[in-house]
Amino acid sequence: MNGAGGGAFHVAHGLLALLARVERGITFAAFLVLITVVFLDVVSRELTGSGVHWASQAGVYANVIVVMVGLGVASATGAHLRPRFADRWLPARFNALLERLQELLMALFCAAFAGLGVDIVLETWRLGEVSPVLGNPVWPVQLIVPLAFVIASLRHGLYALWPGLRPVPANGPAGP
Amino acid sequence: MTASLGLFLLVFTLLLLRQNVMVMLGCATAYAYLMFGDGQLRFIVLDAWEAANKEVLLSIPLYLLAGNIMSQGSMAARLIRLMRALSAPVPGGLAVAAIASCGVFAAVSGSGTVTLLAIGSVMYPALVQAGYSRPFAIGALCAGATLGVIIPPSIPLILYGVMTQTSITELFRAGIGPGLLLLGLMTAYALLRHRGIRGGRWDPSEIAVAFRQGIWSLLMPVLILGGIYSGYFTATESAAVAVVYALVVETLVHRGMGLRDLYRVTGDTTRLLGSLFPVLMMALSLNVFLTYEQVPEALVGWLTARLDSPTLFLLMVNLMLLAVGCVMDIGSAILILAPILHPVAVGQGIDPVHLGIIMVVNLEIGYLTPPLGLNLIIAMSAFREDFWTVCRAVLPFLGLMLVALLLVTFIPGLSLGLAGR
Repeated sequence: MNGAGGGAFHVAHGLLALLARVERGITFAAFLVLITVVFLDVVSRELTGSGVHWASQAGVYANVIVVMVGLGVASATGAHLRPRFADRWLPARFNALLERLQELLMALFCAAFAGLGVDIVLETWRLGEVSPVLGNPVWPVQLIVPLAFVIASLRHGLYALWPGLRPVPANGPAGP
Repeated sequence: MTASLGLFLLVFTLLLLRQNVMVMLGCATAYAYLMFGDGQLRFIVLDAWEAANKEVLLSIPLYLLAGNIMSQGSMAARLIRLMRALSAPVPGGLAVAAIASCGVFAAVSGSGTVTLLAIGSVMYPALVQAGYSRPFAIGALCAGATLGVIIPPSIPLILYGVMTQTSITELFRAGIGPGLLLLGLMTAYALLRHRGIRGGRWDPSEIAVAFRQGIWSLLMPVLILGGIYSGYFTATESAAVAVVYALVVETLVHRGMGLRDLYRVTGDTTRLLGSLFPVLMMALSLNVFLTYEQVPEALVGWLTARLDSPTLFLLMVNLMLLAVGCVMDIGSAILILAPILHPVAVGQGIDPVHLGIIMVVNLEIGYLTPPLGLNLIIAMSAFREDFWTVCRAVLPFLGLMLVALLLVTFIPGLSLGLAGR
C-alpha cells in the first residue's frame, strides 16, 4: 500500500478524478452566479437608479461555495500555500515518511474542523437563523463548510494511504 | 511563558512536518483558544464563517478571474505590440516596452504572477532575439511583473484593507505613486544600460494598427481605476465590470476565447482561491481572538515603552518584512502580520494607509529574493534557466527596489499624496 497498484488504489484514483470533475463543475457554476449577480447589481443601478438588494448576499454565498469547494481543488492540484524553507531541515531519508505524515495531519486537521463545522451548523439550525437580506435559513449554506472539510479529510486520508495519488505540488502562480 | 513557548514549539513542529499555512494558522488559533482563551474551539469555525461571509471579499475572486481571462486571451499580446510601437525610437526601447507592458498589465490583472506569465511569455523571446542579454531580460520581466502587487487594483492591498479595516479605495490611490516610482526607476535603468543601442524609427502605420488592436486593452485600466477613483464603482463592482469587460472583449471582439477556455480559466482561479481563502479565514479568526484578548493593545503598550522613534520602528519593520518576504508568500505574510503591525504603527503615529503600502512594497521585493521568491521560481520554469542564474539576473532590479522602498518609507507623501490623507 505504498505507491500505486491494486484494485483499491484504482478505485480511489477514479473516485478522486470524479470528485475533481464535480468540484470544477460546481465552482464554474458558482463563479457564473457570482459574476452575474454582482454585474446585475451595477446594471440595475444604472438603468433603474437602484441596485438589486439581494445581489451582494447572493454573491457572497456564491463566493463561499467557490472558496470552500476550491479548498478541494487546491488539494487536488497541490496548490495549498506552504512555507518550504524548512523542507531540508530533516534528512532526505525521512521524505517518504514525512509525506505520509504531512497528509495524515492534514486529514486529521480537516476532520477536526469538519466536526467543529457540524457543531456550528447545528447551532445555526437550532437558533433558526435566517439571512436578513434573502430571508433564507442560513444553515443549508453553512453546511458547505463541514462538507468541504469532510471531503478534504477523505482526500488527504487517501493521499496518506497511497502517496502515489498525491498531485505534483504546484510550483506556479499560487498566490496573488 | 510556558504556554508561549508551547505555541512556538507547535508552529516549529508543524513547519518541520511540512504542513501548509492553513493548518499552521488553524492549530495556532486552536492552541491560543485552549491556553489563553475559554477553550471553545467552535468559535474558530464560527469566526472563519463570518470572515467568508463578507461582501468586501468579493473583489478578490473577481479581480483574479479578470486577470486570468486576460492572461489567457490576447489582451497582453496586443498591449505589448502597442508598447513596442510607441517605444521603437527609444534606445533600449524594447526593454522599456517590456517594463511598461508589465506596468499597464499589472494595472488590470492585480497579480504579479499573472503579469509575469502573460507578458514574459511574449517578451522574453522577443528581448533575447533583439540582442538583449538573457540575464537582463529575465531581471526586467521578473521585476516588472512585481508591479502587479502595488499598482492598483492589488489583491495584497485588498487583503491588508480587510485585515486592518482600512479603506481599500484609499489604499488603491496610495499605491499609484510608489507604483509609478518603481516603474520610473526600472525604466530609467533599462534606458541607461542600453543607451548605446540605437532605436528605430516611429512607424505611424504600425502605431495606428497597434493602437486599433490594443485599444480595448488600454481602456481596461481606465475603466477599472477611473470607475473606482471617481467614486462611480466600489472595488467589488469594478471587479465585476472588469470580468464582464474582459469576457466580452476576449470572446466577442478578439474572438480568442470560448466556453471551454472560460471553464479552464475559472478552474485555475479556483485553485488560487482555494489556497488563499482558507488561510484568510483562519487568519481573520485568529485576529478576532487576538482583538478579543486585547493582545494588540498589550503589544502596543510594550513596544511604545521601548521604542520612542517612528524612524527606528519603520527600519525594524522593513528589515523584518524583507526577511519574512524571503520565506513566506505575500498573501500569508499580510494576513498574519498586518493585524499585529497595524496597531503598533498607529501607536507610533504612522498612517495605516502608509503602513499598508510599506508592507506591500517590502513583500513585493520578496517575489525576487531567494529561496522562495515566487517570480524566481516561475521564471526558472517559464524561461528554462537555472535558479541561481535567475537570482543573479534580478540583482540590479533588487537594488532599485530597495532604493524605492526607502523613498516610500521615509517620504509618506509619495503614498499619501494621492490618497488624500
